[in-house]
Amino acid sequence: MKLKHYRAFKVFGILYLAGILGVLFIMNVVYSNLSAVQITGFLENPFAYPAIWNTTGWCNSWLLFFPGWLIINHCVNEFNFKTHRQNIIDGWSRAQFISAKLILILAFAIVITLVNILATIVMGISLGASFSFEGFESMAFVFIQSLVYILFAFMLAIVLRKSGLAAGIFFLFGLIFEIIIVQLINRKFDLAPVGFFMPLQVSDELFPIPFLDKVLNIKKPAIWALLLGCTTYCSAYIYFAVRKFKHDDL
Amino acid sequence: MPNPFCFFLTFYHYLPLMSILSVNNLSKRYGPIQALNNVSFDVPKGSTFGILGPNGSGKTTLLGIVMDIIKATSGNYNWLGQPGSEEQRKQIGTLLETPNFYHYLSGERNLKIAAAIKGKDPADIPRVLQIVNLFQRKDSKFNTYSLGMKQRLAIASTLLGNPDILVFDEPTNGLDPAGIAEIRELMKQLNREGKTIIMASHILDEVEKVCTHVAIIQKGVLKTIGTVSEVLATTEDTSVSIELAAENMSVLESTLRQLPGLINIVDSNGVIQINCEGSVTAAQVNKWCFEKGIVLNQLSMKRKTLEKRFLEITGTQSDR
Repeated sequence: MKLKHYRAFKVFGILYLAGILGVLFIMNVVYSNLSAVQITGFLENPFAYPAIWNTTGWCNSWLLFFPGWLIINHCVNEFNFKTHRQNIIDGWSRAQFISAKLILILAFAIVITLVNILATIVMGISLGASFSFEGFESMAFVFIQSLVYILFAFMLAIVLRKSGLAAGIFFLFGLIFEIIIVQLINRKFDLAPVGFFMPLQVSDELFPIPFLDKVLNIKKPAIWALLLGCTTYCSAYIYFAVRKFKHDDL
Repeated sequence: MPNPFCFFLTFYHYLPLMSILSVNNLSKRYGPIQALNNVSFDVPKGSTFGILGPNGSGKTTLLGIVMDIIKATSGNYNWLGQPGSEEQRKQIGTLLETPNFYHYLSGERNLKIAAAIKGKDPADIPRVLQIVNLFQRKDSKFNTYSLGMKQRLAIASTLLGNPDILVFDEPTNGLDPAGIAEIRELMKQLNREGKTIIMASHILDEVEKVCTHVAIIQKGVLKTIGTVSEVLATTEDTSVSIELAAENMSVLESTLRQLPGLINIVDSNGVIQINCEGSVTAAQVNKWCFEKGIVLNQLSMKRKTLEKRFLEITGTQSDR
């Protein structure tokens, strides 16, 4: 009911959908323009099954800042409008309020996963690739990665309560600082694969880079370890957000 | 399993002596600031209970605690004898501090959200919007409303489902004089219907006109509590004020200066106000003036106002 008539929600939803198809299209154009030598030298075709599932997932990881920002905006709006207080006054428990947000995040992750499946199928058909479910586990990874990103954004919004600060940390950490820290840990201090277990990077590692992964000769963690890391971070984000909301003055 | 709070509400009208809200040794500390200090009181059923205090005295903190948006440092509270819960809050109409709504939604859609959370029938929305004269603007977005309209919408939200208990924090904030009069009359009407109203305000006149009971809070400390008449009667100052006028005001003034028991005399706007010792009555003053050859054309005892009592309790400095 709250989001049904929220314009930013619709705008960012459309931008996200256009983004995933746009990024896939641009990548395909770039790939098509590579010379035969470049292609055969170190790449498998990222736009043919089964690799296309991973390619879509990898592209999607760059777009998860959209739903993350949307969750930050939505939660901080509740604080700014003081509607979180009113919801409690009107008869929700604090646990119900926070659960409603977690259900929303779950719904976001499911929709993102469905959009990725749809985008992969559309892209596959348009490129004439023969369909295969091999590699489909990448879509499960999309779901997990979406949860990791959005829950991280959610925790920042609940703990910081300031839209600019939460969004600033979310973007700066995700796009700049985490990459630097990962490189420092893995390469400067030669502690690979420890660096891959950073809060967002742990989910990024579920998707090998379609173009370059084979040439980046660095030790990668096992999938089970990455999934364990994602689960741990998601649990921690939920714990801190719930604890903050349930015990603080609103 | 039947909800115990609903059970209580069923028998609400048969429990005349029960406290609607019972606050027990409630304290709240914000770092070095003691916002509430061991506040205890009971709100009787069917009363309009005013919580009166200067700005920053702890009124909103107190109401925030009993509505579970602020955590008390110590103490507890009970609604109808039960510890606070979300099921209780659903049965209480509350306006706390400012109207809190989604700016991008219309007034009606905002009330639909409130009704959904409260578990009330959305069919009640037109009724409550009509009560606060906002029905014509129900489709306008909240952010297009004036401050007064926002306040009216918040009051409409409290009336959803016709609750027996209402909590208002500064309910006439932002309203124009006509709106203030309407809301005060609405509160009186609701009280006549048997509803219990708890109202925080720093407007003395409002509390005096609307409330049956009052608690005065200063710096988080409960200073006094009782019915409005009890609070007005409980005073160390036993002096009386009498307003008088006569044909010849200068003769009246000079004569009154010799009145036994006179404390002081003030001449204002064609009326003389005298403050006398508590034993002096209007009849005595009238007789005394008549014996001095003065026929009074105005004589009235001035009732002690809540404002005067409030200032006696809290002091006259702005930092109270």
